[in-house]
Amino acid sequence: MAETILEVKHLRTYFYPNGAKGPELRAVDDLSYEVHEGECVAIIGESGSGKSVEALSILRLIPCPPGIIMGGEILFHGKDLLKMTDEEIRQVRGSKISMIFQEPSTALNPVVTIGKQICETLRVHRGMTKKEAMEMAIQLLDRVNIPNAAQRVKQYPFEFSGGMQQRAMIAMAMACNPDVLIADEPTTALDVTVQAQVLEELNKMRKETNTALIIITHNLGVVARYADSVKIVYGGKIVESGTPHDVFEEPRHPYTLGLIRAVPRLDLPKSSGLSAIEGEPPDMSKIPPDCCAFYSRCKYCTDICKTARPEERAVDGSATHICACFHMNQTQAEREALMEINRKSLEFSKEAET
Amino acid sequence: MKHPVELPISQEIRNQVDKEIARQEPVPKDSKALLRVSNLKMYFPVTKGLLKRKVADVKAVDDVSFFVCQGQTLGIVGESGSGKSTVGNCVLRDLTLTSGQIIYDGYDLSQVSEKQMRTLRRELTCITQDPFASLNPRMNIRDVILEGPRVHGIEGSRKEQQDKVEQMLTLVGLNPQAADRFPHEFSGGQRQRISIARALALNPKFIVCDEIVSALDVSIQAQIVNLMSRLQEELNVAYIFIGHDLSVVRQISHNIAVMYLGKFMELTDSDELYTHPLHPYTQALISAAPIPNPTVDKGRQRILLKGDIPSPINPPKGCNFCTRCPYANERCREEEPEYVNVGTDAHPHFVACHMVSGK
Repeated sequence: MAETILEVKHLRTYFYPNGAKGPELRAVDDLSYEVHEGECVAIIGESGSGKSVEALSILRLIPCPPGIIMGGEILFHGKDLLKMTDEEIRQVRGSKISMIFQEPSTALNPVVTIGKQICETLRVHRGMTKKEAMEMAIQLLDRVNIPNAAQRVKQYPFEFSGGMQQRAMIAMAMACNPDVLIADEPTTALDVTVQAQVLEELNKMRKETNTALIIITHNLGVVARYADSVKIVYGGKIVESGTPHDVFEEPRHPYTLGLIRAVPRLDLPKSSGLSAIEGEPPDMSKIPPDCCAFYSRCKYCTDICKTARPEERAVDGSATHICACFHMNQTQAEREALMEINRKSLEFSKEAET
Repeated sequence: MKHPVELPISQEIRNQVDKEIARQEPVPKDSKALLRVSNLKMYFPVTKGLLKRKVADVKAVDDVSFFVCQGQTLGIVGESGSGKSTVGNCVLRDLTLTSGQIIYDGYDLSQVSEKQMRTLRRELTCITQDPFASLNPRMNIRDVILEGPRVHGIEGSRKEQQDKVEQMLTLVGLNPQAADRFPHEFSGGQRQRISIARALALNPKFIVCDEIVSALDVSIQAQIVNLMSRLQEELNVAYIFIGHDLSVVRQISHNIAVMYLGKFMELTDSDELYTHPLHPYTQALISAAPIPNPTVDKGRQRILLKGDIPSPINPPKGCNFCTRCPYANERCREEEPEYVNVGTDAHPHFVACHMVSGK
């Protein structure tokens, strides 16, 4: 097993939107996971599940107030990021751990050329001269397949298309050869065909430099192909995690099952309707601490779900597959329905080939 | 099924518009199609300098033809910048066409006056993408839903208004008690339901749905798609369903048009499009669609397109897709492919590609 480089332990990030005396909003509530060297970890959750807050917590970018990291540890190479001084964390940001944001058009500075924006990281963290940094920037843009990199560095973000802006962001994030790259919804703002390109690019960079990649997304399908490890987040907690095989082929948690089945499939003949998860995503400020966050939308819900919080438990003694649900052994029927869908899909693609 | 709230709309509109339109050249009523669009072109001028001299055209929609039958859905799929929303806007006559004809139920929409169009807009409405931007934050849900009927002066008595709001909210699966609340109290999915209720309040026959699920989460997206299908069955409305995600659009559409850089690349019924995609762009779109299963996903062949969609100001010579097409040859770069039917008359399959039509 590769070395563990990032370890998030019992992280809790709360928000107090109405001041310290107002109600608290538990955006991230007791979240733990590990990232190994060169690994691709996918964190999947819907909007409001706390997935982005979790990422921002790692880099300590949570605006305070209203947000506070209430507890937990984030160990990076054994050192706790939460205990570092501001100066120390600044040395880590953008250099050892870097981040790609969702909207490249808002994350880039519109009045500074792409080249200068890439140089900034290099000059701050690596102490390069202007000239060296610019040469490096051209190389980096070249590596993410931007044509005419030498001319392109002099251009402004508005002259780049959405896909190219996101590539530039990748180049910028990779400038200092970070150990961990966090990509927060890297492809959500992009078109389907460009989305595939950008993900290939990210994956290629990861393999080349052995950087650990944390992809945060709401789209299950996007990461199925690349992830080594998948975490499903709901209501600020991990409800299920495991290898892609565990989570996509043998999901246990009712939410995971619902989420996978809600994706319209293009690999199968048209179905008569989509299987939606009923209800709305939870209002985080209204979930009591001692219950399963999913209970109001769950069809397996019983009294225990409303009064106690399910612990993360290993599924059938598996070393990788973890699920937090009281009824994880009762979802068999739905799991079989999903397996049936996948089996059909495989048959279907074989037929299409012949 | 009858519309839950029967309003004296259809016949009244007919008489009103018919009276006003009498001076105009009559358009033969189409027995098959509710909406028929032929050779639609929408160019936006690019101007330069103080005198606003026209230097180029953005060919947002370039020679597009299609029809939609009563109670059916045409899906339009394309990347951003392909002109799919412009088609929707043209149909609603938010834009003045450069050329072409749009015939809705016997009325040529480019000929009718603004006043007549206003009356027709009761039947012809739209739902927009962003449920956060499209609802007025200062209006409660009751006012949002009743705004349309009020504008047209058909809101009726207090009792009727109350019934209308309740019925609309029930129809879209919201609690009728919510009528006095404001948009900010609702989640994205619920807001989109409110938008749908607002669109249905005028008893429309035709709705342009412009990316109505792309801002929503996967689990909510499925709810809204199911709701739209149910409403179509119950109310017999026709949709133009615009989206960038082929897998979603396919769920609800009877026919699908694949659009690229202002032109239709392929148009056929949704099963045919999926089982026999002919255009290389359609094939790439299908292969790029993510599948939530690693075994299936890794086993699929993937066509990765290079580059981005070119600028519609300066589209490539020849086939619009030739810059990114893996099969492009000399001919594709020189000669524009014809948009032809390669299927039968009963099951048309239109495609614009030299490789497929083989001529």
